[in-house]
Amino acid sequence: MINLVRNEMLKLLRKKRLYVIVLIIAFLVPLFTYAQFKTIQEQREKLGAQDWRTALQQEITDTQNRLSSSRLQDEWRKYLKIRLSQQQYYLENDIDPRAPGAPTFMRVFVENSIDLLLPLLVMVIVADLVSSEASGGTIKLLLTRPVKRWRILLSKYLAMLLSVSFIVLSVAVLSYLISGVVFGYGGWNMPLLTGFAVSGDELLTENVHIVPQWQYILMEFGLVWYVCVIVGTLTFMLSVLLRSTAAVMGIMLAALIAGAILVNMVSSWESAKYFFMVNLNLTNYVSGMATPIEGMSLGFSMAVLAVWGIAGFIIAFVTFSKRDIY
Amino acid sequence: MSNNPALEVENLTKKIKGKQIIKGVSFTLFPGEVFGFLGPNGAGKTTTIRMIVGLISPTSGTIKIGGKNVRTQFTEAMKHLGCIVENPELYPYLTGWENLEHFAKMDPSIPMTRLQEVVDLVGMHNRIHDRVSTYSLGMRQRLGIAQALLGKPKVLILDEPTNGLDPAGIREMREFIRQLARDENLSVLVSSHLLSEIQLMCDRVAIISKGAVIRTDSVEKLLAEQERVIWKAEPIDRAKELLLEETEVQEGIDGTLITLYNEPLLPQWNEKLVLAGVKVKEMRTQLPSLEDLFLEVTGGETID
Amino acid sequence: MKKYTLTLVSFVSIAASLLWLFGLGWTFQDQFSANKKFDQPKVKTDSVTSKQDDALSIFALGDSLTRGTGDADGNGYTGYLSDLLKKKSEQEITLVNTAVKGETSSGLLKQMKQSEIQRQAKQADVIVMTIGGNDLFQQGAALESLNMDTINSQKQLYLTNVKKIYEQLRAQNEEAVIYHVGLYNPFSNLPDAKTTSSIVRDWNFQTAEMAANFENIIYVPTFDLFQLQVENYLYTDQFHPNTEGYKLIAERVASLITFEQEGNES
Repeated sequence: MINLVRNEMLKLLRKKRLYVIVLIIAFLVPLFTYAQFKTIQEQREKLGAQDWRTALQQEITDTQNRLSSSRLQDEWRKYLKIRLSQQQYYLENDIDPRAPGAPTFMRVFVENSIDLLLPLLVMVIVADLVSSEASGGTIKLLLTRPVKRWRILLSKYLAMLLSVSFIVLSVAVLSYLISGVVFGYGGWNMPLLTGFAVSGDELLTENVHIVPQWQYILMEFGLVWYVCVIVGTLTFMLSVLLRSTAAVMGIMLAALIAGAILVNMVSSWESAKYFFMVNLNLTNYVSGMATPIEGMSLGFSMAVLAVWGIAGFIIAFVTFSKRDIY
Repeated sequence: MSNNPALEVENLTKKIKGKQIIKGVSFTLFPGEVFGFLGPNGAGKTTTIRMIVGLISPTSGTIKIGGKNVRTQFTEAMKHLGCIVENPELYPYLTGWENLEHFAKMDPSIPMTRLQEVVDLVGMHNRIHDRVSTYSLGMRQRLGIAQALLGKPKVLILDEPTNGLDPAGIREMREFIRQLARDENLSVLVSSHLLSEIQLMCDRVAIISKGAVIRTDSVEKLLAEQERVIWKAEPIDRAKELLLEETEVQEGIDGTLITLYNEPLLPQWNEKLVLAGVKVKEMRTQLPSLEDLFLEVTGGETID
Repeated sequence: MKKYTLTLVSFVSIAASLLWLFGLGWTFQDQFSANKKFDQPKVKTDSVTSKQDDALSIFALGDSLTRGTGDADGNGYTGYLSDLLKKKSEQEITLVNTAVKGETSSGLLKQMKQSEIQRQAKQADVIVMTIGGNDLFQQGAALESLNMDTINSQKQLYLTNVKKIYEQLRAQNEEAVIYHVGLYNPFSNLPDAKTTSSIVRDWNFQTAEMAANFENIIYVPTFDLFQLQVENYLYTDQFHPNTEGYKLIAERVASLITFEQEGNES
């Protein structure tokens, strides 16, 4: 099996797709770094105060003001209090949350690319994994070896997992190294809040706690990886079903973009939450953002994704081992 | 020739969407023989070959390679098989060597020293480390054969092996295939729609049309059969009597006589008949090539 | 070399897979295990003080009036004040507003202990503040009952607090002029206006007396501004000033500061 996986990795590398992906990331990261840099600059100009401590103090008093409002829900009040102590923590430990280091950039970058950019990159790699063998005719040589079909497909699947990991790692490393030139490489220990849950209109905060940024980033990258694996599995399934790589890409692209659009407009269509593409934004649950549809949670989304992924996996393997190849 | 068949195909059928595509194909290959698989496009050659190599599962029937059933003992059966189905489609972005390495690694029983052996066998050592995308079709064909030979198979299946080659390449390929069968005691199954190819390359041939094998025979026999003269004469019994004195005579359908074709003697036979008062109405040689034999047995189906 | 790349990429990918799996596992453990205690971050106190000066920095503190509650644009008098000053002095103005809605004098005194507040006070060129409204009105409750005993005890507490606030501000910053914006009577158009007005006047007077004990603390009266057409200058809550009201206050304070600035320059 190791030899089979090695074969697949060799083909992946020789096809140069991985390099292209790495190049794409290497081009995009400076772009976003510059954008982020501009935003920070503008924020500073707007505030007028050159000192971030001043701005933070303003925020703290803003929060205090909101806290003093009597019409505040208890849950919300608790959330504000936590944020307040987070802000005070920054101030007292001399951490500037606005002029972030490279780790913060990394975090923001993956949070924003989890639902579209990264799945797209994964798709580019995975789409032709099987379909190119079919359209190139090499599948005939591959399947007339003394190796069972499911083992061949499994080796391809494992190669897919490895390349997904590689892409996610590239994103992590490149975004850190490149943005660090501008923002500096520090900030791994900055405390961040996580553990929010939403129930109805209420924000549940009983599990809210502070984790250091490095742990937060590791957790988010774990989720990103999970999403990429699911998207990879579904693309993989399509790649088995269809001979044409273009068709695989087209379908996946449509699904992903439809997901990005749906997220913004499905709040009243409740059953839409069972689509995989609406559930891609896992990092939002960690950072405590509102869910697109009521009743969604980290556990729910991960379960939905898992069901789609397992179904795709089974369909891919059953079809591949039974199918007649012409 | 040993009596253990290298490849046995028995009563193979395939139904696709209710349509019977292959209707009970049976044949046997023995070690060291080159077997031709002849038929027009769409006759079921490729479908049959794909069933033999395990790409398509048959609806019924059994295929045994080296005594192992392809359906129930797939991996064991495949160890004895090397094949090129249609074009030798290799990975264009890998070098020839990497392609071979790739396929060799899929079978742990193949030692890495075998790679150099097959490269030498097909005479590719000059270009083996170049990318396949830079190869000519002939070189790809040779590399394709090299990969098929990696596992030291008992059966080699080549689907249209001379397709797209120039005349020199075709001759080279032909000789190579014959040499393999002779030296390595391989059974080679060659499919083609070019009759001249089969004629020059094969020991035996199966003619397939509309999903069924119409005839299986040795090439010599078929050739011998075709070179005959058909006589139409009156009275027929007298003519037969006279001709029997000279040569073997068979009675054909609708009152004809068939004799072997023998150019120098033919005028004398004719003269003899005429002198004896037999009216020779027609005298024609039977169709001069396998191609026409094929046309005849398949009832006028065209070959491209 | 090519083989080396393959092996390298493969091993890196395997390591990455393990790392991400670990991250995923950690997420599970972190997000799904309930009842984590929220750790209050430990307080480390080291404030870096960097006095930055080429702009006139205004430090505002106090209650909702300084915050700007009731102003449609949310500027409050501090916002209009810095606009006015910018126009007049053609100088860069930095405004730091740490006012908290509903702040009482006790609350402000507590806030004064925060190192960042102290740092801001130290840096300021001008300090503006409002305080006492919530001590007196208690969101409007005290004046309705008009219980003089409560009001008097409140006043005593307030005055001691104000004294301490003044002292602390002075301790941080000896030079900056402190403008303490006084109270108006939001109820001057109500039946009890006579009583309430006298209470507010007394309150203002006592505060002004207190301010007079300190150097460069100016108690800025606003009572007269709202005396006549109070309903025109109040927000819909009939308590906080509206935009017009805040502009009145800002103009008054601005006129004082401008005078002060000119005095400095000459």
